[in-house]
Amino acid sequence: MSAIIENNQLPFSAKFLQFYKDRTLLAILLSLFAVMFIYGIFFTENYLTITNFKAIIRDAALYGIMAIGLTFVTLSGNFFLLSLKETASICGVTFAMGMATGFGSPDLAGNFLVSLLAALAVGVVSGVIQGYFVGMGGNPIVVTLGGAGILYGIGAWWSDNLVINFTRPHDAEWLGTGSFLGLPSITWSFILIAIAAEIVLRHTNFGRKVYLVGANKAAGKATGHENFSMAIIVFTICSVCCAFVAVAFVAQMDSAQSNYFSAEFGSSGDMTILVIATVMVGGNSIMGGYGSTLRTSLGAIFIAMVDNMMVLQGFNSGPRIVGVGLMIVFSIIVFGLFAKGSRAQE
Amino acid sequence: MENFIKKITKDVDLSFAILLSFCVYVFFAINIEVFFSHNISFAILERFAVLGLVGLALTICIIAGEIDLSIGSNAALCAVIVVKLTDPLGAPLAMLIGLSVSTLIGVTQGFVIAFIRIRAIVITVGTLMLLRGVALLIAEEKTVMLTDFRVPDFITTKVLMYFSPASLTVIFIFICVGIFMRYTKYGREIYAIGGARKEALTAGIPLRRPMIIAFALSGFCAGFAGTVIGLKSGTAQGLGLQYLLLAGTVAAFVGGVSILGGKGGVLGAAIGALTVNFLNTGLVFYALQVHFVQLFTSVLLVIVIVFQTMSRVFDSRQARKGLLATIDERKTSLLEKKRSALGR
Repeated sequence: MSAIIENNQLPFSAKFLQFYKDRTLLAILLSLFAVMFIYGIFFTENYLTITNFKAIIRDAALYGIMAIGLTFVTLSGNFFLLSLKETASICGVTFAMGMATGFGSPDLAGNFLVSLLAALAVGVVSGVIQGYFVGMGGNPIVVTLGGAGILYGIGAWWSDNLVINFTRPHDAEWLGTGSFLGLPSITWSFILIAIAAEIVLRHTNFGRKVYLVGANKAAGKATGHENFSMAIIVFTICSVCCAFVAVAFVAQMDSAQSNYFSAEFGSSGDMTILVIATVMVGGNSIMGGYGSTLRTSLGAIFIAMVDNMMVLQGFNSGPRIVGVGLMIVFSIIVFGLFAKGSRAQE
Repeated sequence: MENFIKKITKDVDLSFAILLSFCVYVFFAINIEVFFSHNISFAILERFAVLGLVGLALTICIIAGEIDLSIGSNAALCAVIVVKLTDPLGAPLAMLIGLSVSTLIGVTQGFVIAFIRIRAIVITVGTLMLLRGVALLIAEEKTVMLTDFRVPDFITTKVLMYFSPASLTVIFIFICVGIFMRYTKYGREIYAIGGARKEALTAGIPLRRPMIIAFALSGFCAGFAGTVIGLKSGTAQGLGLQYLLLAGTVAAFVGGVSILGGKGGVLGAAIGALTVNFLNTGLVFYALQVHFVQLFTSVLLVIVIVFQTMSRVFDSRQARKGLLATIDERKTSLLEKKRSALGR
């Protein structure tokens, strides 16, 4: 109570400073955006075209959706998963298996709904199992590192490490290559998932619980919100997001292999690291309790923008990875310096 | 000797590690005829030169309460540098340059972590990508190769039946690091900031020095592993060596470090690395695909994690039971006193 009164009696300048400090990180991100944008307009050809912007958002959508799922995990204080690309790859293999062979029964072959449900089910199962171990008290990094090897091994074993093809006129085309009102379906899903995640985190009971458990595990436990059930739920959300991305990607490629999401994915190396980097570039606190999916979405678009600009400037993959890596390290250090002295780094 | 045995049986995780490595070895020795032979022992020690170092690097980091995810990229960068510079400068100078670059990277990481007070997992995810990019840039996105493959032969010649210069050097590094961690002030500081950071800082231990030393050691070990791999195969890639993180983590955790920090040691790291080597070498005989090796290594990791978590849960439950028992004891004596007072 006294704190509130004190806050009201503060002079205007101090209030302004307080307001500004709360939003500094967002301001930094937005100004970085602006700098990149202006640089892009003046020094890169073909940058300011609608087609290019569509390409940027489409690129961002793939790892943006995964990053939104990961944001739940990070916000709840469970660091991050190192098994993102492996989860995606096993779900992709499942989906392609369903589309190509119907899991052994020919009537189901090519049935989009069954394949999608199977892929999502695999995502749910892997998320629940990893979440269970983390909730029991295992370290998320180590558990998911082990989980990554197992998921990849099972996926490769199941598909015999071959490329699984299914022929072109199939039911999943609308998701892979179709578009609606001029934007690709995957971009629409990115936008919808981002909005839904923001609403869930801001305006539902569950979303507030995620913040509570992330901000203070002990307080969460004392009020009956243990990390055990929370870990299982957030890991499942993240794995389902991975499964969805995998399905969209496989539907676009008409084929799947267990190492589709491994090294050299896109242009910036490792998919897992790229997704984790997206969460961090957005300025979410890695210790949990601070951040939002809006930041993550902005981070995804930012990384896609930088990458796109370097592609247009004609760089090879080496300099591009250096560029994205430098950006990540820089933003981590800046956000770390700003958060210095706050509770977020205990 | 008695002390030694007492120490091992007291440490549950270490005795579990020894048991696990023994089981894995015996399993393969029974199933594969040639497994228990001089040549296979030499091969295992050869692999130990690489994996042991990575396991040691991660062990030191985890003892300090942090985890270094950039270890694979650091090793790849060092391998690229060494292989690229061996032709113009000769192997020793190239190794020196590569190792100093890796150590410098470790020092920088440690400094940033201690200065900003950021968690290592955060910054090392960034450096993982950055270093990989730098390695690609130096290698010009190609596979770097030696022109004369006889140059690095000196590190693989057999010495004393089981050893090669590489494995001998690694064993020497292990002994040095073991003595350093156990008997010097600086080594004990690493344990202190890992086991109880707040208390250590309050007691006046600087965070910066042990953190920089831990990450410098880890960078050096990762670089050395990269050097050995690069020189042995004569080739290096910017995107290679990412499997080292999984293998090293398994080695460290089998060796009995605790993710909470401040626990574990060099002996455990050696045993853990040997266990992973037994597994890898044994699986070679079954002619399995690569992903099976990864699968079984991960299963090993999960077994160890489950064991560690269970033993921690069991310990805390025992402690709580003991506490309740002592409370009950005190209560009963007090109740008896009360009763006797009332009765009188």
